[in-house]
Amino acid sequence: MNARAKPKHEPILSARGIVNRFGKQDVHNKLNLDVSPGEILGIAGGSGSGKSVLLKTLAGLHRPNAGEVVLNGKKIETIGHAERASLIGVLFQQGALFSSLSVAQNVMLPLREHTDLPANEQARIAAMKLELAGLAAESGLKFPSQLSGGMVKRAALARALALDPRILFLDEPTSDLDPLIASGVDALITQLNQSLGITVVIVTHDVTTLFGICSRIAVLVDKKITVDTLDHLMHSQHPWIREFLHGPRAQGAMTARKWSHGNR
Amino acid sequence: MSASRRRDPGRHSPTIAIKDDGGRFALEGALDIRTLREAANSLNAWQRERKSRTLDLRNLSSLDTPGALLLCDLQQHGIELTGIRNEHKSLLDLICGLERKPLPPQPAVSRGRQLVIELGKGADNAWRDALEIITFVGRAASAICQAFSHLHSLRLPSISRHIDETGIHALPIVGLMAIMISVVIGYQGVAQLRPYGGEDFTINLVAVSMLREMGVLITAIMVAGRSGSAFTAEIGVMKSREEVDALNVMGMEPMELLVVPRLIALVITLPLLTLFADVMGLLGGAMISESLLHVAPLQYLERVRQAVDDSDLFVGLIKAPIFAFIIGVIGCMHGLRVRGSAESVGQQTTRAVVKSIFLVIVLDALFSILFDKLGL
Repeated sequence: MNARAKPKHEPILSARGIVNRFGKQDVHNKLNLDVSPGEILGIAGGSGSGKSVLLKTLAGLHRPNAGEVVLNGKKIETIGHAERASLIGVLFQQGALFSSLSVAQNVMLPLREHTDLPANEQARIAAMKLELAGLAAESGLKFPSQLSGGMVKRAALARALALDPRILFLDEPTSDLDPLIASGVDALITQLNQSLGITVVIVTHDVTTLFGICSRIAVLVDKKITVDTLDHLMHSQHPWIREFLHGPRAQGAMTARKWSHGNR
Repeated sequence: MSASRRRDPGRHSPTIAIKDDGGRFALEGALDIRTLREAANSLNAWQRERKSRTLDLRNLSSLDTPGALLLCDLQQHGIELTGIRNEHKSLLDLICGLERKPLPPQPAVSRGRQLVIELGKGADNAWRDALEIITFVGRAASAICQAFSHLHSLRLPSISRHIDETGIHALPIVGLMAIMISVVIGYQGVAQLRPYGGEDFTINLVAVSMLREMGVLITAIMVAGRSGSAFTAEIGVMKSREEVDALNVMGMEPMELLVVPRLIALVITLPLLTLFADVMGLLGGAMISESLLHVAPLQYLERVRQAVDDSDLFVGLIKAPIFAFIIGVIGCMHGLRVRGSAESVGQQTTRAVVKSIFLVIVLDALFSILFDKLGL
């Protein structure tokens, strides 16, 4: 890793020597990654570069062939269920809301399992989380099948926030959303990061998200990872990274970034 | 970083307390989801005493969103929060800035009313279902006629693949089931007829019931469970992934491509499977008579020939293609009814299997009455 991008704090999550192999194909080869508390880290990479597998490995959902993931000073596989639930929140790509439960019940489920709060208190907390995620209290009664794409993401975000996790993993939070709603989700992530101090790890293709809200970007190329701030990565000599950051889509996102930063 | 030391789960449980410092009240400890209940109780009691209207938060070591929610509620009730730490400020601002509307109550419907609503919906659904089945039977029949009148639109490779899947692959399970059923009937027959000295008639019982009813019924139920559900699932997945729409757009008729080959294959295989089940059932009967009645296989064959006549076999086999058509139609119809998600595929598959087995048994009962009237 580049010395300039060295995190100032003790990392909250660190992965050391991760090897993931499917059949004979190596997806990750001795990959290292540190996530410092309070940052928004974007993970980018081409299709099939193993972004989602990396996210699952970091969240402890996939056991790597070699290497270890340390979360909050402990190896992730030694952390108990309840503790892990209070440390990690995951927003899955399709939302993964339980279809047999209403939105509010989805958010209340982890509260019901891991706390001894009375039901009315759980309901109040759920309503607050829904509002935090930008949903009206009325949508709490709806079922996942009655929600639009953007609302599904918001409801799933509210559920991921249910236990106030320290780290939030977001798998393609803005895919399948129209640009306006996607910008709304981006703003929401920034706000939660700033006000709640949640560390955020985003896997995304969306250059606007990467350029707009991520404090550092991790690019998955050649089975390894390159982590740096955007400004430093812009000068990278790696062909894929150059192509990715200087391509036509990236240029558009860059213009947007300058605009929004200029207006601040 | 405000939240980095917010929690230290697992080591010791955090505490929260209200400290009275000469009339100045301060909240001390950690206010998070684990101490929330305790904090809410003590704050309620403290509020009721009405000693002070200010609460100091200087010694609050950690705060999370449910805790902030509690403090914001206090603030709303006129309690002044003082000494808020910098790291808690943005969190409190965020939560206190929310509207904090409670979840709306579930609209209450009385039991009796609910029952009436459910009944009405059920009746309406049944009516629509019946209409849809009739329509689909008509469409399928017309598509089959179309296929036979234009032989080039008859998809022979597809038909043969479905015959393989629904027929040949089903042979072992259907055969085994037939033997088992005849063993069950045989044991019951011997047990019930022995007191009257008529246990030899068990052979008649097994042979006639296998050929007339059990062979075809067991086969139809197995095929409904195996192939009817597979039809729904296959077509349903194609439907949910928009493959059916893709066929339509490319000018190919899903009815002709997906439904007709399956129906034809099933109408061919089910009678053959029934015949196979009949043979296996009689074989099971032979095993039973050998072991329980000490009737040798050749003797058994002779007895079977006396016991049954051609109409028994005919009555059984004539029902098979009709059952096959019903099972295929229900399976394909529910497959095409799938909307959107994978969840819908599961729902429709269950419905298809339940409905086709139900219809097979209802039809069988109707056939029994019909054949009785016809004297067959």
